[in-house]
Amino acid sequence: MTGSIVGQLVLKDLYLTRWIAAGTMLAGLIALAIAPLGSTAFYVGSVSFVCVQIVLIVFLVTVGVVQEKKDKALLFILSLPVSTTQYTFAKMAANFIAYIVPWLLLTATCLAIIFASDIPDGMMPAVTAISLYFLCYYCVLLAVAIATESATWIPVVIVIGNVLINFFIPLVFRLPSGANLSSGSSTWGLDILAVLALEIALSAAALAIGFLAQTRKKNFV
Amino acid sequence: MSECVVEFNGVNKAYRFFELRDVNLRLEAGQIMGLVGPNGAGKSTTIRILMALVQQDGGTVRVLGHSMPDDQAAAKRGVGFVSEDMGLYGGETLAWHMHFIARVYPSWDPDYARLLQRRFNLRPEQPIKGLSHGERVKAALLLVLARRPRLLVLDEPTTGLDPVARHEILNELMEVLSDERRAVLFSSHHTQDVEQISDQITFMDRGRIIDSSDKETFLERWRRIQLDVPTGIVLPMLPGVIDVQTDGRLAVATTNAYAPGLDAAYVRAGAVVREVQRMTLEEIFVANVMSSRKEVA
Repeated sequence: MTGSIVGQLVLKDLYLTRWIAAGTMLAGLIALAIAPLGSTAFYVGSVSFVCVQIVLIVFLVTVGVVQEKKDKALLFILSLPVSTTQYTFAKMAANFIAYIVPWLLLTATCLAIIFASDIPDGMMPAVTAISLYFLCYYCVLLAVAIATESATWIPVVIVIGNVLINFFIPLVFRLPSGANLSSGSSTWGLDILAVLALEIALSAAALAIGFLAQTRKKNFV
Repeated sequence: MSECVVEFNGVNKAYRFFELRDVNLRLEAGQIMGLVGPNGAGKSTTIRILMALVQQDGGTVRVLGHSMPDDQAAAKRGVGFVSEDMGLYGGETLAWHMHFIARVYPSWDPDYARLLQRRFNLRPEQPIKGLSHGERVKAALLLVLARRPRLLVLDEPTTGLDPVARHEILNELMEVLSDERRAVLFSSHHTQDVEQISDQITFMDRGRIIDSSDKETFLERWRRIQLDVPTGIVLPMLPGVIDVQTDGRLAVATTNAYAPGLDAAYVRAGAVVREVQRMTLEEIFVANVMSSRKEVA
């Protein structure tokens, strides 16, 4: 029963967030399909793609975590035969799956379009770093939402995440191996690899801290 | 000896502006305990500790033989919990919630669920957000009752309900309670509701249990004695008398340990006993709280 209750909670959350994941996947694919159609289309497609990534992150965390607390459905779920650790694990796992599937699909599609179209392949490292920025942003927001359930801290993280992307994109494009716009092949230098490693480490650390902080709480409601 | 389904021993919990102090509670299989107290008495905190939603700072809690909060998942398999402020998923239907609960609990009884659905006049295809408060409480109760828990924990389930919804819910509970193996812990500040369904009553105030006994003992022990006190007569301080209110020659003594000897003691002191009145549970509750507050002060 222990294994199955976690499974049921994960399935329940995937069901509740299915439209967000499906909708943003579709919107993201449309944005990516537009991008190779010309310079204006590239701009529109890129900006739309960034917006879709942000919508996916904010909606998933809001609907999956914050709304449950706001609707007081948390009391209902915690009355089921589940420990607080199992609940936290199920909640984070379901939300992560709901995010990572569209994220992987959109990132892979984006790289495939760069590879297959006239867009320079040299952009691949920068695009990968930008995609990982969104993963990192999502993990930090999820961790903060899980650990604090705070109506103050969650918007603060959203604002910081949305502002920082404006600095991060030019930064990775300026890295020596970030984006070689004239090259037909991408260069995965140490600089960009360090950025990718830092993003992955930050994402993992955020999830671990969020999980530990929540499971050590003495008061769940 | 009956099986103990809930046991609190010396439980404490401190918040910044509220403290639950030395709560000792015992509920046996088949018993229906009403937890009565004013707002802020600590009823919900006690129930949340029982459900491991809040962890106690000190003391031990055992539910259905399991230590809380360490073994909460196993304990909660046999517990059905409904709270006045419990929400369901607003965008989903009652039918969706029923399927979800049926997958979690092998003990789910679909026939009983359908019966409750008809009795409560609930439409399974209706989204929860379209239900009234009363219908939401009934829906939550249906989701709990149809899995036939050994322990039912109800935290102010009738608060905010109209008289008809309250009547329907209490009637259903009365029927459920005919199962003598099931224990129920029912918190409320509606003493009428508690009096109707409980056989054990525990009064709480300001984070403490101030009195706990079976309902009949409460009703037998508590009396209000109306006295005529002639000028010059001073009423003696008698054991068990917790309050005496005087207005000219009239005096009203409230006792929590009534015995016929008490009337005689007043007569011996020179007073005339005009009437000995039984008290309602609400009157007992208020007198108990006021007496407890006087003691603490």
